[in-house]
Amino acid sequence: MNEATLTELVGRGDERHLLLAVDESANSRRAVMYVADFFGSYRDVFVSLLTIIQEPSEDYFPTEEKRRRWLEDKRQAMAGVLEEYRRILLDAGITEERVAANISVRPCVSIGDAILEEQEKLRCCIVVVGRRGISHDEEFIFGSTSNKILHHAHNCAVMVIE
Amino acid sequence: MPQRNSHPTAPPTAADIRRLVVAHAGEERTPDKFQVITDTSDFFKVEYNDVVVLGDRPYWVKRYEKEGRFGLDDEPKYWVRRAVDLVDGSTKILKLVFHEEFETRIGSMVITCFRSPKKEARILDLVAEHANFMHGHWVLDAAGNNIRILEFIHGPRYDTVVEGLGGDHRDYFDHHLVGVLDQFVEALQAIKFLHDHGEKHGDIRRDHLIWDLDRQVIRWIDFDYNYLHRESMFSLDLQGLGNILIFLVGRGDVLVPDLHRDRRDLFDTLWGEDLSISYKHRVANLKKIYPYIPESLNRILLHFSFGAKIFYETTEQMLDDLARARDDVASATGRGS
Repeated sequence: MNEATLTELVGRGDERHLLLAVDESANSRRAVMYVADFFGSYRDVFVSLLTIIQEPSEDYFPTEEKRRRWLEDKRQAMAGVLEEYRRILLDAGITEERVAANISVRPCVSIGDAILEEQEKLRCCIVVVGRRGISHDEEFIFGSTSNKILHHAHNCAVMVIE
Repeated sequence: MPQRNSHPTAPPTAADIRRLVVAHAGEERTPDKFQVITDTSDFFKVEYNDVVVLGDRPYWVKRYEKEGRFGLDDEPKYWVRRAVDLVDGSTKILKLVFHEEFETRIGSMVITCFRSPKKEARILDLVAEHANFMHGHWVLDAAGNNIRILEFIHGPRYDTVVEGLGGDHRDYFDHHLVGVLDQFVEALQAIKFLHDHGEKHGDIRRDHLIWDLDRQVIRWIDFDYNYLHRESMFSLDLQGLGNILIFLVGRGDVLVPDLHRDRRDLFDTLWGEDLSISYKHRVANLKKIYPYIPESLNRILLHFSFGAKIFYETTEQMLDDLARARDDVASATGRGS
């Protein structure tokens, strides 16, 4: 995110600034639909769509070129997904100047922590995520982003959409 | 990162190498013919008694290393060779490049793992001064393959050492568990060191923890695995640590089929939530089997049980709980306070 955009976003003051953290999954799409449905008629809501792309380690690729290509493909794919989500929000009545879409590419120990860092930076009052509906075993082995956010968020509300 | 241990001298000739082999093994044990290899890309072509020259240093190749995995004990690792450093006569382990991608199963879960020479080389550099890891260096061969040259550790697997401690479990608990927990804390701190530097071990299993007889410490080996993590980068490492701790506290796996056969009274007290989340036939709630285990220690084990509601996210959390549990075991047994 460039500095101008960041300054603009954090300067949103008392507006209802909502961080909608998404990926390409069906549960993220459901979260977008929910926000569109629930907040579409509000005139003072600002929605920051955010997707985190985990910058993969060099270990996964035989060459740096392949790593760069993987990242570029991923970025392009996510740009398409974000544009689709933005359209859903616009169709629900949220005006164009009240929706921003951001892709953050970064090394991540935890995606949940990365989302909360963005929330803090942008001073969003609500974080919205979808719940993947993973099993107990899966959560144990891989962790759960929505649980991480629920347990570690502060100075904001959290909405987890099933 | 520069390659290490490369020598500014000219590479040894075939005659030099032959002289070094004779000096090491004697004329009668020196083979008539052997290959001198500088490109290890096809590791199947590296045969017993061949000499691999890495960074101008010759290594006389011996047997394959073996490993138990996927239920196949003594599976040969063709890319891992024991070798003699012909300059100083020391035993080394050569890990040649094998870009393996495979799926491993933990309970019902399937995880795609990668074998990454780059990762292991990076960690070897990171842990060069750390007592609780295997040591070694890496060299690029003539074809640019990243070969790891590891110091040989003299000693058995740590789990086999622990299995031999004490008479019955009560005796083990009373006389040995505090010491074992102290050593496990060292191992846990070593993994914390990796995590603090943004690295995961990637393959924490009890056969990757070796008791070094010379240095009298436990040491982690084999950190060339990596996998694409999801929410939590370190959860798989933590899960491995939990499985090892359950093994150490129980001085072996407490298996449901064994209890069903031999201790029906204990078997009848077990619920699904008492079992290990990773291995459903192992008991995690060991207090039901050994009631003298302190609550504080058992609570740690329950974080790795099927009934767990909260999981550890960091080694630090586990270390905090373990410090209290270790003190409780010391108080209960009057040892190691």
